[in-house]
Amino acid sequence: MFRKVLIANRGEIAVRLIRGLRDLNIPSVAVYSDVDRASLAVRMADEAARLGPAPSSESYLRIDKIIDAAKRHGADAIHPGYGFLSENAEFAQAVVDAGLTFIGPPAAAIEKMGSKTAARQFAIAAGAPVVPGTEEAIQSIDRARATARALGYPVLLKAAAGGGGKGMRRVDREEDLEAAIRDASSEAGRAFRNADVYLEKLVVEPRHVEIQVLGDHHGHMIHLGERECSLQRRHQKVIEECPSPVMSIDPGLRERMGAAAVRVARSAGYTNAGTVEFLVDRDRNFYFLEMNTRLQVEHPVTELVTGLDLVAWQLRIAAGERLTIRQEDVRWSGCAIECRIYAEDPENNFLPFPGKITRLVEPSGPGIRLDSGVYEGWSVPFEYDPLLAKLVAWGQNRDVAIGRLNRALLEYKIGGIRCNVSFFVDILNDPHFLSGDYSTAYLDGFYARKKAPPEAPELEAVAALAAAISRQKPAASASQPVSKWKWR
Amino acid sequence: MKYDVEVNGREGHLELRGGEFEYNGVARDYSIESSGPGIFSILTGGRSYQATLLAPGTIQVEGRIFSVEIFDPRELRARSAAGLSQGRQNVAAPMPGKVVRLLVAQGDTVEAGQGLIVVEAMKMQNEMKSPKAGVVAEVRTSDGATVAAGEILVVIE
Repeated sequence: MFRKVLIANRGEIAVRLIRGLRDLNIPSVAVYSDVDRASLAVRMADEAARLGPAPSSESYLRIDKIIDAAKRHGADAIHPGYGFLSENAEFAQAVVDAGLTFIGPPAAAIEKMGSKTAARQFAIAAGAPVVPGTEEAIQSIDRARATARALGYPVLLKAAAGGGGKGMRRVDREEDLEAAIRDASSEAGRAFRNADVYLEKLVVEPRHVEIQVLGDHHGHMIHLGERECSLQRRHQKVIEECPSPVMSIDPGLRERMGAAAVRVARSAGYTNAGTVEFLVDRDRNFYFLEMNTRLQVEHPVTELVTGLDLVAWQLRIAAGERLTIRQEDVRWSGCAIECRIYAEDPENNFLPFPGKITRLVEPSGPGIRLDSGVYEGWSVPFEYDPLLAKLVAWGQNRDVAIGRLNRALLEYKIGGIRCNVSFFVDILNDPHFLSGDYSTAYLDGFYARKKAPPEAPELEAVAALAAAISRQKPAASASQPVSKWKWR
Repeated sequence: MKYDVEVNGREGHLELRGGEFEYNGVARDYSIESSGPGIFSILTGGRSYQATLLAPGTIQVEGRIFSVEIFDPRELRARSAAGLSQGRQNVAAPMPGKVVRLLVAQGDTVEAGQGLIVVEAMKMQNEMKSPKAGVVAEVRTSDGATVAAGEILVVIE
């Protein structure tokens, strides 16, 4: 096993990894940019190294500085987390060239899966179904027109190097195609420094279901079932759950998708933890979408349902140990649902809302897991993504998990900044979500369907009372001194 | 003590009397305990509530968030005075972030809805638009500046 591991990341995932390392008695090295000096990860880690100024290009994306920090601190392995350099083949190779271990797949597998068009070819070769479409980047508008006509509208333009919805366009009519290619291509060029886009048939109102795989360096690979990720806003996931509600309609689907995912990953020479994403249509046909060659944000969902620690297995596999779990040993128990808690304002078009956290009360209790990267008094920087924490509930069935999640959301209090907790309360009380019969189109219509919250005169009265009391002198309130808190 | 209040934009009236309070004409008994700045346990009508002051003007009660303004009679004058400068409209940052583009300069004529300034936070850009047709009276920030939520960036006259 490793002597010491450097975590090339920040935020809640850095905290998750420090915990995973400590579970195995391995010292951790956190890295930080100037605005993250006081972050929870830096406080919790055994050692910490400064990378540079706030912009990622001068800190968390600096391969040279990260490898240098690992050497100075005597780490023998690097965990990339997700985002930043986690799917950068050059980084994975540089780590190996420096004589260290990269905790993740081989650079060659990242490279193969890194381009969506190349990944499609691997999927096809492995016999996994793919969404009908071109397998190459668009070279000419005439070819694109012919392809789109053959596929039938609506079609979808996607960035070859993309993710997160950047460079993605739905096209409903041929006359819109040329402009859409131009837009998508320039957006992709800006976001990924690669302007290549390609065409796919648009699967209307699909589910987005992904399969977790785990493989060792001795030729053994298994899948850990699915995560339902259809709840997305602007192509960003907000809620994930396992099992996918679709599995109750078609219990054989998990096995079929799992087997396809393992075939695709094997064909690319994949090892360690990875995720194969699929679209599932109304008739429960599934299509390979892409592979994420890293630990996913939503990995706790799988951990709670299978009882397996994905981070611990990543470490063991990277250290050369055998994956001792056989496919037939994997059991899925109960249901887990995750909410991504973002620093954004659900009352104001989900605008990001970084700033100082002046109040933090975190939920706990039966079936609740909170993977958080923040603490009261810390200022959430505006330079990085707005994910603060992941709130995950487990229950013996979906209803129990939803009940617990609802309860935990009511316990959760984050003040000073805005966050999307109230948005989740709305979703978890929506009959459409509760039915489990939803697709990636769910959130588009959510606000149109949503009614204003019911009148709550008693809660309102209590709020007014608390506000009035809080501005009185300490003596006016019952027990402890009530602050110098000032009203605007 | 009597207060004028504004809860979620609606005006109301609050009066505290010993172990009783009256809100918008409904009198209720209450008992309140505070375990720290802005943290309250309130019992009323036999029910137990937790109220948490998240930030000045923002109170969470049982998962619902209320924006509450309390006005003292003394502050009323200041309140009405604030309503006087109707002709000038301030454009404030809706979120903390960094100014990535200034689209107008002082003295420019702008249309209602015209983009004035772009603020970026957490990889998301937000263009602020002019609330009315007029002239840019002031630009109070510059390209690359870090701004706080609510900070006035541009004034339109």
